[in-house]
Amino acid sequence: MNMSSTETVRQKPPPTLPARPIHIPRPFETTLSNGLQVVIVEDGRLPLISYRLTFRSGDAQDPTELPGLTDLMAGLLTEGTESRTSLEIADEVARIGASLTAGANSDYTTVASSSLANFSDLVLELMADVTLRPSFPENEVELSKQNTIESLKQQRAQPSFLATEVVSRVMYGEHPYSVVAPTPESITATTRDRLVSFRRARLIPNNAVLILVGDLKAEQVLKRIEQLFGEWTPGEIAVENFPAPPVRTSRSAYIVDRPGSAQSNIVIANAGMTRTSPDYFPMLLMHTVLGANASSRLFMNLREEKGYTYGAYSTLDARRSAGTFRASAEVRTPVTGDSLKEFFYELNRIRNEKVSQKEIDDAKSYLTGVFPIRLETQEGLIDQFVQIKMFGLPKDYLETYRDRVQAVNIDQIRDVASRYVTPDQAAIVIVGDGRHIIEQVEPYSGEIEFYNTAGKRKDRPSTAPPSAASISSIAGKWSLEIDTPLGQTIPAVLTVEELPTGLGGKVESEMGDAVLTSVELNQHEFTATLSFDMDGHTFDAQIAGEIAGNQMTGTISLQNTPPLSFHGAKE
Amino acid sequence: MAETFQLPPTSIEQFTLANGLRVVLNEDHSVPVVSVAVYYDVGSRNEKFGRTGFAHLFEHMMFQGSENVPKAAHFQYIFNAGGTMNGTTSTERTNYFETLPANHLPLALWLESDRMRSLKVTQENLDNQRHAVQEEKRLRYDNQPYVNAFLRINELIFKNPANAHSTIGSMEDLDAATIDDVREFFRIYYAPNNAVLTIAGDFERDEVRRLVELYFTDISSQPSPPPVDVSEPAEVAALQETFYDKLAPAPAFVLGWKIPARRTPEFYALSLASELLFEGDSSRLYQKLVKGDESVVSIQGGLDERRGPSALYIFALPKPGEDVATIRSQIFDEIRRLSTDGPTQPEMEKLRNSLCNDAVRGRQSTMYRAQRLSEYTLYDGDPNVFDAELDHYLSVTADQIKTVVNKYLNVDNRVVLDIVPEGSAEEPATTAASPQPPGEPKQPSAPAPQVPSRPSAQPPKTTEPEVVEIEGEKPHPEKPEQPADPPKHTRPGSGPLHP
Repeated sequence: MNMSSTETVRQKPPPTLPARPIHIPRPFETTLSNGLQVVIVEDGRLPLISYRLTFRSGDAQDPTELPGLTDLMAGLLTEGTESRTSLEIADEVARIGASLTAGANSDYTTVASSSLANFSDLVLELMADVTLRPSFPENEVELSKQNTIESLKQQRAQPSFLATEVVSRVMYGEHPYSVVAPTPESITATTRDRLVSFRRARLIPNNAVLILVGDLKAEQVLKRIEQLFGEWTPGEIAVENFPAPPVRTSRSAYIVDRPGSAQSNIVIANAGMTRTSPDYFPMLLMHTVLGANASSRLFMNLREEKGYTYGAYSTLDARRSAGTFRASAEVRTPVTGDSLKEFFYELNRIRNEKVSQKEIDDAKSYLTGVFPIRLETQEGLIDQFVQIKMFGLPKDYLETYRDRVQAVNIDQIRDVASRYVTPDQAAIVIVGDGRHIIEQVEPYSGEIEFYNTAGKRKDRPSTAPPSAASISSIAGKWSLEIDTPLGQTIPAVLTVEELPTGLGGKVESEMGDAVLTSVELNQHEFTATLSFDMDGHTFDAQIAGEIAGNQMTGTISLQNTPPLSFHGAKE
Repeated sequence: MAETFQLPPTSIEQFTLANGLRVVLNEDHSVPVVSVAVYYDVGSRNEKFGRTGFAHLFEHMMFQGSENVPKAAHFQYIFNAGGTMNGTTSTERTNYFETLPANHLPLALWLESDRMRSLKVTQENLDNQRHAVQEEKRLRYDNQPYVNAFLRINELIFKNPANAHSTIGSMEDLDAATIDDVREFFRIYYAPNNAVLTIAGDFERDEVRRLVELYFTDISSQPSPPPVDVSEPAEVAALQETFYDKLAPAPAFVLGWKIPARRTPEFYALSLASELLFEGDSSRLYQKLVKGDESVVSIQGGLDERRGPSALYIFALPKPGEDVATIRSQIFDEIRRLSTDGPTQPEMEKLRNSLCNDAVRGRQSTMYRAQRLSEYTLYDGDPNVFDAELDHYLSVTADQIKTVVNKYLNVDNRVVLDIVPEGSAEEPATTAASPQPPGEPKQPSAPAPQVPSRPSAQPPKTTEPEVVEIEGEKPHPEKPEQPADPPKHTRPGSGPLHP
């Protein structure tokens, strides 16, 4: 070939090659006499097997008074059985180079494993042991409860968690999807007896599917499965009689006030659909055009054009009994309002105008392209089967997936957008620095509710300059005790004084002395930046406190660590 | 059974273009997916004094556009096709890679060839990316506790500057970079004769050869890059140092040893010894210090695998109030025990099974295969090492592990780096031999530096901003803002997609 033809070839992206066939393995399916469904996919490429024992019962089935019970129960399955201690289970799994874990989400619970093919007998026996004969040892229950309570504290330091908490509460109302985390109280109240009886009631064969993918022979492995799981007694499947999520009739905003927050986490939510809705595929295409990836409209607008954020996306959250459709981004505080403007511009545009032919083509290329990449590994493939079984998707879902994507047309996208993207009924949830964002949010919602980082309702933060009364409530010397994650307390002295330039002061402790800057006061709440000086370098932390008479409580946030809480009194 | 374990052989074909580009093909029709990896034989080891950080800076430049590909268009092309991509830099090499649906293979070859042939090395792109790298250093290194101590340990282990400096490099050196320096760097190191191109996945051999020739033959070769001298004396550069870390909330320490190069019998045995010492919950140090004594919050370690002298590290974050010197001597005791008693039979069984499991699991992924095949071609001149490597590990005996631990780890020739929160009044143990009790720590503990873990098999939780649906994973646009690689360890199968 000559140079010039190569140069011509280079000028444009090359055409694709003809699509190559995808081989979707046909599963062998059967049901044991106790109701346990078994799905076996023979895939002999490599001497490897992946295993999932899944139950159509998840966090949504937690007893109302004990949120977190399913998670706690699932996590404890691998921490001891009638014949093995926690350590023995871990050692046995490590010895054969395998993995074994258990966990849950809102719709289902999973015991998962993977191993070399020749260890399948032992792995299945371990799976049966942890599922059918867990012993919930007292010490492990106690440890797991403590760890859960600790991680609840860490979660509250994450703005994304705070946003999800309010979004779920607002969008799902009485529906159990409204609860996204346990409370320290519900964890403390959970007893071993309760875990034992809950395990017995929920982990029943007639509500479960055992899925195996890998280098195995269905006939042989089925014998083993019969031996291990055949005697498992069926139970009564709990009815999912969940109240419907509330119907939204107007737009409103919910601000989780996180003083000192450098960013606003914005989530704009509308009611969505279940995973098996006939609207699912048109929605998937609409979502891909609007915000599923880094070439979608939201990303191109809010990040590439405006530079407001590291990424802006939409989320199609379609679950077994309800769903939401959301647009979200973490943006710099000063551009919170500007970002809302662009979000609503994009939401209205996709609702009111047809998407272009190029956009729908790109979206189809993206979705049909991602699909085989997901199926590349056994883990990817088995997860598809888990979802098919847990959500009740059609048997031919994988075979027909690409056709279903290709079948969607521009009018269908417009139709689902007009029904599911409804800015006038949207819930706008923002986790950010209340004082600095209220006025930016007001043009987008007449109604605003305020929450604190504990998830409780609170008053509207004031944006007016602090009154003389509130200044005198804080000015002075405070003795503080700072709690560390490991149960120590560090004493500190906080001094606040009124300077000609505004409020200022310092914090003195064993951690070093810090100067208070950017002090802001809002009635009985205050925030400030703590600047530590170390050999000419300064580094900053944020302090936020709430004053009640001569008492103060609050948090100090260092970089990259969960906030430390403190309490104290005026000297 | 593990003794008779056989890996299914990998289909490997290799050829070299007239311009010196080494090409490796791994044809496999099981899933219509293809991965492309381009490895350039340039890493921080090639950087001269006063020019540190260049290899990594250049990795950024490679996403700034070329003659026919506009700036940042690289990502858009790949994402629109449903694919994933990235680039990383280590001491040994700089790599770029894509995974795509099989019919989009020409796209990856077009993108990779266009930047190899006609990268836009402009002053504007240089300034812009120098800035991005400095921002990255601030964010991922200077603003993170303990990370800079990890960079320091290399300077204490290695005496040769080619080995000792970090891939992120010095900000002064980056500031001093001129456009001519960078153009020269591109000309010398980003030449086809200094690179390996690997394609793994579902393709027709003739078709792929035609495409490779179409896109890569007209790129000119260049004179060979200057040779690299990574030779080292046996002694570490310094035995002990205190590192004041202003972000560290609690004292910690790093231990470092100098060990032989990758793919030597000693390296294989040391790699397995390190697994027994600190990999996973069943490892000796985890069981002893985290579970048993509950004296440390976290213990981690790693092998820095290089073509020349390599390194082994252990990082420990003691619980507040625990005696740092005691913990340190317990680690040395455990090493001594391994050097006198050797591994137990169950430990050897665990090693064998996890080696086989990791090797097999990794092989499912076209990206894993493309990356490993590229490495073996670049470093060893032979992609077939990919299949031979597992046997080298499996043939290591308990006695060999015992011997290398005694020879390389149970020695005084090692670095003890104390990390002390800056501004804290406390002083660390001055030497490992005569430890002083460190006293009460003044600050709460921090989360330890993250280590990559196996992807979870568990369903996504709704408390995460994730979707519970088949289109579950949110694509995270990966701008080429990767940190220079942390110390790592590429035994057969340290997991797919951990470049």
